Amino acid sequence: MIAHPVPSPTAAARHWFLARSDLDSLIDALQATGRRVIGPTVRDGAIVYDEIQSAAELPAGLRDEQSAGIYRLVARTDGRVFGYTVGPTPWKRFTFPPELAITTAHRTGVVDFEQPPIEVPQLAFLGVRACEIAALGMQDRVFLGGQFTDEDFRARRKAALIVAVQCTTSSSTCFCSSMGTGPEVRAGFDVLMTEIDEGFVIEAGSPAGAAIVAQLPTRRPTHAETGAAADSVEAVRTEIGELLPIAGIDERLKHQLDNPRWGVVAERCVECGSCTMSCPTCFCTSVTEHSDMEGRVSTTERLWDSCFDVAFAKVAGGDFRARPRDRYRQWLTHKFSSWMDQFGTFGCVGCGRCITWCPVHIDVREELLAIAPVIKPVERPVAVEPVAASPGDYSIARLASVREETEDTTTLSLADLDPAFLMGRPGQFVMVALPAFPAVPISISRFRSNGIDLTIRAVGPTSIALVNLHPGAKVGIRGPLGTFWPIEDAYGRHAVVVAGGVGLSPLRGLVEALVANRDRFESVSLYYGARTPDDRLFRSDLAAWAASGLIDVAVTVDRAGPEWKGRVGVVTNLFDMLSCDCSKIAAFVVGPERMMQASVQSLISKGVTPDRICVSMERHMECGIGLCGHCQTGPFFVCKDGPVFHLSELGDMYVREGI
Amino acid sequence: MDEHAEVIALLNHTWFGSDLAPETQQRLASLGTLADFAPDEVILEEGEDTREMGILISGRLALRTLVPGRGPVTILSVEPGDIFGWSAVFANASAQSTVVAAEASRALVIDGAKLREALKQDHALAASLYPRVLAAVARRLRATRFQLLDLFAR
Repeated sequence: MIAHPVPSPTAAARHWFLARSDLDSLIDALQATGRRVIGPTVRDGAIVYDEIQSAAELPAGLRDEQSAGIYRLVARTDGRVFGYTVGPTPWKRFTFPPELAITTAHRTGVVDFEQPPIEVPQLAFLGVRACEIAALGMQDRVFLGGQFTDEDFRARRKAALIVAVQCTTSSSTCFCSSMGTGPEVRAGFDVLMTEIDEGFVIEAGSPAGAAIVAQLPTRRPTHAETGAAADSVEAVRTEIGELLPIAGIDERLKHQLDNPRWGVVAERCVECGSCTMSCPTCFCTSVTEHSDMEGRVSTTERLWDSCFDVAFAKVAGGDFRARPRDRYRQWLTHKFSSWMDQFGTFGCVGCGRCITWCPVHIDVREELLAIAPVIKPVERPVAVEPVAASPGDYSIARLASVREETEDTTTLSLADLDPAFLMGRPGQFVMVALPAFPAVPISISRFRSNGIDLTIRAVGPTSIALVNLHPGAKVGIRGPLGTFWPIEDAYGRHAVVVAGGVGLSPLRGLVEALVANRDRFESVSLYYGARTPDDRLFRSDLAAWAASGLIDVAVTVDRAGPEWKGRVGVVTNLFDMLSCDCSKIAAFVVGPERMMQASVQSLISKGVTPDRICVSMERHMECGIGLCGHCQTGPFFVCKDGPVFHLSELGDMYVREGI
Repeated sequence: MDEHAEVIALLNHTWFGSDLAPETQQRLASLGTLADFAPDEVILEEGEDTREMGILISGRLALRTLVPGRGPVTILSVEPGDIFGWSAVFANASAQSTVVAAEASRALVIDGAKLREALKQDHALAASLYPRVLAAVARRLRATRFQLLDLFAR
């Protein structure tokens, strides 16, 4: 990284004031160092960076109006020379030229490759903004921060003298404050200027800068002048506001590689590359060969390129990014995700050039918010503080009765509980422990007035031990834990409950609540699938619900003998042909994950939105209170952030392999 | 005509038959006849030539296959609106399973040979019917794959 040390201790004061009428003295001083001054000037209706000879060439009395795909210059009411934001040309064209000869090759009997000498123009950059300084710093990381370096860049960077300018205005396309790169310049400059009505408050940021400032006809600024300078910078920060929830966006984008929005934005994108050309940090290049007719002497030239180019990722065997959506995804995920992995920083400084100069008005901020929004956790009230809420603590309950539901599933009714257990809500679970057996999470299948039911499938040592207990036995329990079914989501809607196998257990309490409050719902339906007729849970409840006339109950099994006259087939067949207005459905789904996924896909295909679909997830749990780490799924602990989730919370993580 | 009007009205209540163009519904109605089946009545035997395709109007049919040592196993039920005997759209096809009425059922039964001839002659009918038959078979295939996974097994 190029260092810009703190101001020389010989400087009499930190700030100075330069009158507007004396601005040419700055340009003269810069030129006196043997440098050409590159500054803002108007060309073809835009403020670009080009060589200037005097202050008269600065864009006095002009400001820019920018929005997606729109740029125009309008007159200011004052004569300020830096009263604009950024134009189409980034400073990188001077540190990382669009065209650069990098090799001369000869084939005259022998073959040799010769690197041309580095010819570095001596330049002073006048009018560098905070975001642009950040961009130069990012280019330092790319070209100088790794194993392989670009010495041409190093030389150009070292030779450039930076005269930075504080932003005193902003455009609607600016989002530097969201990216942490502005609007205030804090470091990375040789001279810093803040324009106020009367002139410029300036300070030096390096010995070279101090030497420049020492030549200027300055005076100490008044308190009012330094105050005006500080206020104008602060006003810009307020004006820009915080637009993007940028924290964590690199991780969120990693989970959105299949988001259909890529295709939507790609249909608009014309792949002109304006965004990459105007971007101050994009650094992709290609090489081209210029040869004499005999191929004896050739020059390799490095040119700016763009990952939007249709052939950018092409190889002899094919094209790795053949589709426009692939190329757009590459650009956006590189800038806001992969850069972080590669260089430890985002590849965007929030200058807004890619927004302004996109001919089809694509706004990268909108795309980011659409593709990788912040998933706000659904706020739900905690039903009750769990009992025995530390990893080693359990409350004792007595086994009141045991009922075999199926060959491998048994319901234990517990009594003599701490009353807090009775305050739980359907969807919650308890950790159940027996001495010498690891505790296991079991859904509460019913809340009684004097106890709770746990419906347990015997699949492991603890569950096998539990289902073999006899009435009177004591067990340790901790809970009620986790989130519960948000029954209020279904008020005024079609409540659809989809259960598979033992998945009916955590849903039984919900169904009972739906039936008990039937008048609050447009309709209530239960779709239940089991392996065989003998594997159906809660058969008497199923019959009673169906007989009540308050709920439509449809049951299917995967296979059956000839004595079974009911439905045979998968549970999704039961609601494949729904005739209600599916946009008014609130769905609650539990079962094997693959079954839940198929059910959810079927519901979504019918128009049920993810924020109206709740699932209960099963994960390995050993504490139930978010301290053992086993049940993590992305950012969530299933035990305490779930097990009931809205599908919209889970987003791309739902049933993604390996999460 | 009265029978066709009744059939068309019944077809409109099935996912297979609703949304068909009126002339297609008319054509189907003219090709088929309403048939009633008693509980446990065998409609088609596995392996038998599929001579008819049916659209179930009411009731339920069980598709069964014989598993040596286990006896007949019901692998799928056909619910109102769905089809059975779909292979009748092909000549020389045989039934993939035994079709039994699980309860009293009514169906629109269409002669396979007449159907195939009509599909050959009437391209509009073919354009309407083949996609629906394909959708019904695809739905069945997808469901079968899930059943194959035996997701509820321990």
